[in-house]
Amino acid sequence: MANTDLSDEQIVEIILNNDKELYREIIRRYQDKLSHFLRKFIYDKDEMEDVLQVVFIKTYKNLYGFDVHRKFSSWIYRIAHNEAVNFLKKTSRNGIFLDDLEYKIIDEKIDICGNIDNKMLKKEIERNIAKLKIKYQEPLILFYFEDRSYEEISDILRIPKSTVGTLIARGKKMLKNHLEETNKNHG
Amino acid sequence: MDEKQKLENSIMDKIGSGRVKLRSKYVFLAEKLGLGTAFALSVTLAVLFFNLLLFYLKETDNLKYLSFGRFGFLAFLESFPYLLVIAFIIFIIMAGYLLAKSDASYKKPFGLLAVGLIIFIMIAGGVLTYTEIAKKMEAEAYLGRHPAGTFFKFFVGGGTETRRLGIAGMVFEVGDNYLIIETPQGLRNIELKEGVSSQAEKGQFVIAIGNNEGQDFVAKEIRTMEKGEAPMIERGIDRRFKPFSGQEVKSLPPHLFLFEEEKKDCVKKCFDSGIDPRECFDQCMR
Repeated sequence: MANTDLSDEQIVEIILNNDKELYREIIRRYQDKLSHFLRKFIYDKDEMEDVLQVVFIKTYKNLYGFDVHRKFSSWIYRIAHNEAVNFLKKTSRNGIFLDDLEYKIIDEKIDICGNIDNKMLKKEIERNIAKLKIKYQEPLILFYFEDRSYEEISDILRIPKSTVGTLIARGKKMLKNHLEETNKNHG
Repeated sequence: MDEKQKLENSIMDKIGSGRVKLRSKYVFLAEKLGLGTAFALSVTLAVLFFNLLLFYLKETDNLKYLSFGRFGFLAFLESFPYLLVIAFIIFIIMAGYLLAKSDASYKKPFGLLAVGLIIFIMIAGGVLTYTEIAKKMEAEAYLGRHPAGTFFKFFVGGGTETRRLGIAGMVFEVGDNYLIIETPQGLRNIELKEGVSSQAEKGQFVIAIGNNEGQDFVAKEIRTMEKGEAPMIERGIDRRFKPFSGQEVKSLPPHLFLFEEEKKDCVKKCFDSGIDPRECFDQCMR
């Protein structure tokens, strides 16, 4: 069976049975996804890559701690989430950085674009997401930008699925209120 | 080589060279076992301490002071088992923290789990009051045979300690304006303030509020108690005076109060030799 046909969980089992080299496949599968996720919290590319490396090393070291009956993707995102939070605490930074087109996702879902020009809107969305508490930021980012399901977010953040829905709804409402105020001020 | 490939190679080099190794599965097993054991221990101790708290409130004079009004409330606060409450809260917090860390709480609402845990601890602690466990712990605390007993004495010992604003014990002698009572610390003189009277008779239990003045206690209010209302005080008195039971001890002058532990042996030996108790007290205490 080719490596690409194996599930993450199967790969982990093979690595634990002494084929360390197969960890390369895990790195290939998650490097882009986790970079994308970490980039939301860490703007500097070098710093983000350092954190990403730590995530992969910690994941490898703790492979025996992974329960193969659970989803590997949620587990590795959980480690990335913890590292991102640690980095933010260590550096006392609190910013959110969206890709050029990502803010449009929020704009579409919340639909408050109004009269604000696009450049201004991106900045305002970044600023206002950063103003939210981390407990609202993370579900919003995972749901809207990382395309994670409620179930996966629940696994990553270790909170009940119903709470994920509540946090996303509340976060969205707060963000919408903030953005509407900004819209008024610019109106 | 592109950036992505560089990162991949850097990580795989570290793994290949052995600089980054898998943590042993036994470490994870030990962590899991340790977490489980620590959780079980925290819950058990929280249950025990809640049980001891109920036991203390039921068996000492603490709650009885509340019937004296404002001054009684101060005596209640003075004799309240703060250490037991603090230990109980610490063990509940520890159990909650360990529960949150364990797999059992994975994706479950922590608030509900915490409420369930507290209810369980309180029910289990309440059920334990139907057993003799707290009484045995108290006995061990005073026998000092096990380190655990000494540990618990630190928490329940306050039940029989001298209080500044309240006193309880068994009447040993009744005078015009005073009572001599047996307490777990020894004989104490209660001076009755002007206007305060007591109908208590020898052998009856009394509880009073007031102030310590030197070695005497000046009572503002005094009441009799039924036997069994403060059993821990009664057991404290037994422990203190049992060696002399069966001896005919007549009235003692007030200067013989505060019957200290180190002098007990002297008095006991003197009693055993058949000398009059008052003479024994005079010899040993003066």
